[in-house]
Amino acid sequence: MTQFRTWLGSLLLAGCLAGPALAADPQPVTIRFAGMVGDQPFACGQSYAGLGARASRATPSDFRFYVSGLELIDTAGRAVPVTLAQDGVWQHADVALLDFENRSGPCLTGTVETNDSIRGTVPAGSYRGLRFTLGVPAALNHADATVAASPLNLGSLFWSWQGGYKFLRIDLASAGRPQTVRAGESPRFGDMAGSHRLGFAVHIGSTMCAPGTPPSGDCRNPNRAAVELAGFDPARDVVVADMRALLEGVNLEVNQPNTPAGCMSSPNDGDCDPLMQNLGLAFGGRASSGQRFFRAR
Amino acid sequence: MLLAGLLLLPLAMARGEAPGWRWQLPAWLPPPLVPADNPMSAAKVELGRRLFYDGRLSADGTVACSTCHAQRLAFTDGRAHPIGVTGEAHPRSAMMLANVGYQPVLTWANPLVTRLEHQALLPLFGEAPVEMGLAGQQAEMLARLAADADYPALFAAAFPAGGIDLAGITRALAAFQRALISADAPYDRYRQGGQANAISPAAKRGEALFFSERLECFHCHGGPHFTDSVAHQRKPLAEYGFHNTGLYNLGRNGGYPPGGEGLVEHTGEPRDMGHFRAPSLRNVAVTAPYMHDGSIATLPEVIAHYAAGGRRIRRGPLAGDGARNPWKSPFLPGFRLSQREVTDLVAFLESLTDQGFLTNPAYADPWPAGHPARVRRREVLAATPAPAARQRGRAVASP
Repeated sequence: MTQFRTWLGSLLLAGCLAGPALAADPQPVTIRFAGMVGDQPFACGQSYAGLGARASRATPSDFRFYVSGLELIDTAGRAVPVTLAQDGVWQHADVALLDFENRSGPCLTGTVETNDSIRGTVPAGSYRGLRFTLGVPAALNHADATVAASPLNLGSLFWSWQGGYKFLRIDLASAGRPQTVRAGESPRFGDMAGSHRLGFAVHIGSTMCAPGTPPSGDCRNPNRAAVELAGFDPARDVVVADMRALLEGVNLEVNQPNTPAGCMSSPNDGDCDPLMQNLGLAFGGRASSGQRFFRAR
Repeated sequence: MLLAGLLLLPLAMARGEAPGWRWQLPAWLPPPLVPADNPMSAAKVELGRRLFYDGRLSADGTVACSTCHAQRLAFTDGRAHPIGVTGEAHPRSAMMLANVGYQPVLTWANPLVTRLEHQALLPLFGEAPVEMGLAGQQAEMLARLAADADYPALFAAAFPAGGIDLAGITRALAAFQRALISADAPYDRYRQGGQANAISPAAKRGEALFFSERLECFHCHGGPHFTDSVAHQRKPLAEYGFHNTGLYNLGRNGGYPPGGEGLVEHTGEPRDMGHFRAPSLRNVAVTAPYMHDGSIATLPEVIAHYAAGGRRIRRGPLAGDGARNPWKSPFLPGFRLSQREVTDLVAFLESLTDQGFLTNPAYADPWPAGHPARVRRREVLAATPAPAARQRGRAVASP
């Protein structure tokens, strides 16, 4: 509603200042994404060689992430927000879920439906650049997930312990980190290994968030990655989310002892290094040299 | 009469009470706070009870809330580490649920979890550790409930505007837990009910010790529920505290075992290492083993731990002198107790056991034997020693 009013306001203002010619209908825009592992498309059940620091062969079983705050950059260098279509499924407010898994084979946590694009409108114009945030904005991240709108109501993307969502979820099985999670295994006292049967998890979200009613949304580690793809032409280009580039330098065969499986965004988990840096996020006191997960094609 | 009814109704709603809901409380205990979006109702509490005991809320049917929260143990499970559907052991001990509606912060040390409606999502969907294993299984779980003979009507009664969904499940579970009231222990009858002989002379001496500056117990275990974390309808401004009780001192710099560091996990502040919420001591005699990680087996051993001002572990990966933990609470300087005083203090703690609460049929398993809700459900281990047999031992130094 607020967005609609703002949009309406802009429209009226434009109409007053420059006459009806500029008050043209906003133009529809589709930002296309591709879930890739290097130069191969991601598919549930497929294994990929040469991943991470040890050139592992690994089988991913989930590949989903939230994107928010999309902006296109016009030829004059001005950033213009993309107003997302409120489709009741993949897009809510200014957040969209990209989903490349289809709940087949080892992909047990996701949905049959997939989504590889974001649809919305921008003012008529010519655009040569794209900006977005990998993550759910603070205003939506800490709200009551049980009454949230789709796509913020998927239990496998809740991160209730951190009071938010998993912005990015990738799970992998490698030779050293096999994924053997199954229900009904016999309990063993002191067994801390159960969730390690997830394999190697990449669960990125905000951590160390301040309490409050309503939650302040102030987190010591927001872990929202800002992405900019210069020169991006929405009519021609595709945003490639490349799992291989994300995992560059990450050892998928071992897990740091006494930490969750893979990287669950814990600041003291070495398995998040250099994964966080590959997302453009500082980690372990080191700044990132820039994100490499996304590129334009 | 009509006018009075019209005036009273909005007041009741503002207090989170639907018409027809009555708190079962003694006069001295104000009702707990109730979120405006989840008013209490008898239908909701009854639905919540069914869900609480329903194994179908877990991925494989083996784990209900009651699997780790058994009524006869004041809704604990007698284990140091509860076991989830994949066999993974939880790093924290199951919490006692009597009067949980008075807790402004839930779980052992997560300041973000302030509502039971939110807390329910942790065991249902959590993946580190896996408890009920519902991540990615939400639709299947909802379908199981929708196919049940009773739930459609129970949900309709509890939530006339809603269906069988996650919002209803978490709200009903929260309402049932808010209704778990323990306020009729022998100590309550003695202290609040004017029954001078409701507790033994030993328990009365133990009470004096508990509330003494010499032992300092009451600083963190005071108030109506013997915890410094409390809020209710006459005390809407919540107070809560997290404390380091000197259980560990890894690396001589105050460290706690990985995965069990407490509040620091959420704040990143070094001073919050080893800080956990002081749990309510109601029914404490039946909630062994003790501490956030179940690392102390009996009440005399807990008393010995506090008498020593911390725990010294001489060898192994957890070696360290907890009494010298730099982040330890100032209320743990240590004290000396005679054997009789230990017995008296234990007698006081045992006077907090509310047998009526442990056997109240309103809180019991509603499902008949063989019902799909319980046919695969794992029960709390039966072999739990009687509290009296376990806690009469000598107060010995903890491991």
